[in-house]
Amino acid sequence: MGHVEFKRVTRRFDNGHEALKEVSTEFPEGSMTFLTGHSGAGKSTFLKLLLAADSPTRGSILVNGVDLKGISKRGLARYRRNLGVVFQDHHLLAQRTVYDNVAIPLRVIGMREKDVERRVRAALTGVELIGKEGLYPRHLSTGEQQRVGIARAVVNRPKILLADEPTGNLDPELSRHIMYRFARFNQMGTTVIVASHDVGLIEEMGSRTLCLEQGRIVAEIPARQEGNQAEEHPVAV
Amino acid sequence: MPFRQTDPWPSDTRSAGGWLRDHRRVGGESFYFVSARLGTSLLVWLVVGIALALPAGLWIIQVNMAEVSAGWEGRPGLSVYFDLDATQAEIDDTAAMVGQQGSITQVEVTTQDEALAEFKVYSGLGDSLSLLGENPLPASMRALLTPGVVTAELDRLAAQIGKREGVAEVVVEKTWLERLNDLSAVVRRLGLMLGVLFGIGAILVTASSVRLAIEARLEELRVLKLVGATSGQIRRPFLYFGALYGFGGGVIAAMLIALTLLILEPPLTSLLGSYQRELNLSGFDPLFLLWLLAAGSLLGVIGSMVAVRQRLSRLEVL
Repeated sequence: MGHVEFKRVTRRFDNGHEALKEVSTEFPEGSMTFLTGHSGAGKSTFLKLLLAADSPTRGSILVNGVDLKGISKRGLARYRRNLGVVFQDHHLLAQRTVYDNVAIPLRVIGMREKDVERRVRAALTGVELIGKEGLYPRHLSTGEQQRVGIARAVVNRPKILLADEPTGNLDPELSRHIMYRFARFNQMGTTVIVASHDVGLIEEMGSRTLCLEQGRIVAEIPARQEGNQAEEHPVAV
Repeated sequence: MPFRQTDPWPSDTRSAGGWLRDHRRVGGESFYFVSARLGTSLLVWLVVGIALALPAGLWIIQVNMAEVSAGWEGRPGLSVYFDLDATQAEIDDTAAMVGQQGSITQVEVTTQDEALAEFKVYSGLGDSLSLLGENPLPASMRALLTPGVVTAELDRLAAQIGKREGVAEVVVEKTWLERLNDLSAVVRRLGLMLGVLFGIGAILVTASSVRLAIEARLEELRVLKLVGATSGQIRRPFLYFGALYGFGGGVIAAMLIALTLLILEPPLTSLLGSYQRELNLSGFDPLFLLWLLAAGSLLGVIGSMVAVRQRLSRLEVL
């Protein structure tokens, strides 16, 4: 399970700038939420705090009731093994093949190579990249690279999936495709949090949306009840 | 006190099998990394090898010098030559005084007549020496020191004897063997000093090479941290690099020492032959090689730990 709660979280940098101000919200287990807002609104800081790559100046972030501030180094590694993260610029390793890039989270947990192969193949099938596992990232298009990043994020069946502007460099059709893929993961029980400024696409998805402005949540749009986003735009997972 | 949970998903643990698999995989990848950059690796191996070969070579020399001196009968001592008119009482008193010294094991007095008789035998002049009328050779005394007596004590005793009535001259005999022992001690200490200095050098060279490897893989390390690798997992490949660099350095050091011994063997055989001794080089055996390789690997691991501690403690996920 992946229940996340922000309690009056403030992140102030050394230069005095406050990226987040007294933010309080919850992400129930199995929910899908979009964070939207202009550049500098605090979306990336929000995700960084959730990733425990940064810590709040004040307030606390609870995951399954556990304050991330109190986690040990080893506990932090275990925590991150249950997160999937997708970035706008992929963060793929240029010297590794598609297969090896996707296999990294599984090898970190010491999975047998036979199981690694099975899971990597399943993940690559899900993002329609099967057959390209021997290629290097430089041989792929931007959209394909993004899909490798998604495969790497989900190969370990994370409890929480974080995505920071995952469609920033993609054309509208591919962007829709990727968003619906996230919706499908969400339907499988993963808590999904996506930071994006693609307002049109967010509206189309109809998921809960938090609007950030100057580090504060200024609006919350609840999820639309009618329809099922993933079924409206089916993709193989 | 209520149980306080400190981990959102505490049941997620890794098995020992997973740990071993990780070691096997990282070991294989590190071996590939080092062998794929053979030029750089060879340079590191050479530097570490030279750093190890010097103190290890000196150790071999010292061991062999000690063996040469251990099998030799000669010992340092002193010879006392008396005045031609010294009385027997003066000679006996001096011999008794010297014999009472704890540092002396044996005192042997040669009278004037005995000295002349020996000279007749060794010189081959025989009865022709009778034509001299009077005996020109002085009485003498030879004292042998107990093993391990330091030179300073020998000099002090010589000065004390020189002041006695009837004594003409005291000659302190430091055999070449004693000089060899002194030289051996110098070599041992030099080896220790060089061992420490070159050991530090080997650590720094490995640290700098591992640091370059870390810089080349920073993006990969960030991704590893992102997907939940522990600090141990992130450190692991670099510890393997260090061990491989050090091990390779040990192999190079063994080759350098073997080559040096091969070059030195003919002149050493000739030198020892002139002293009726045979050359039996010792120390360069499988145990020594094992130590050399282990020392190299250890220095390499220490070097990589230095680099890892410096660089990875500041590593950020993004």
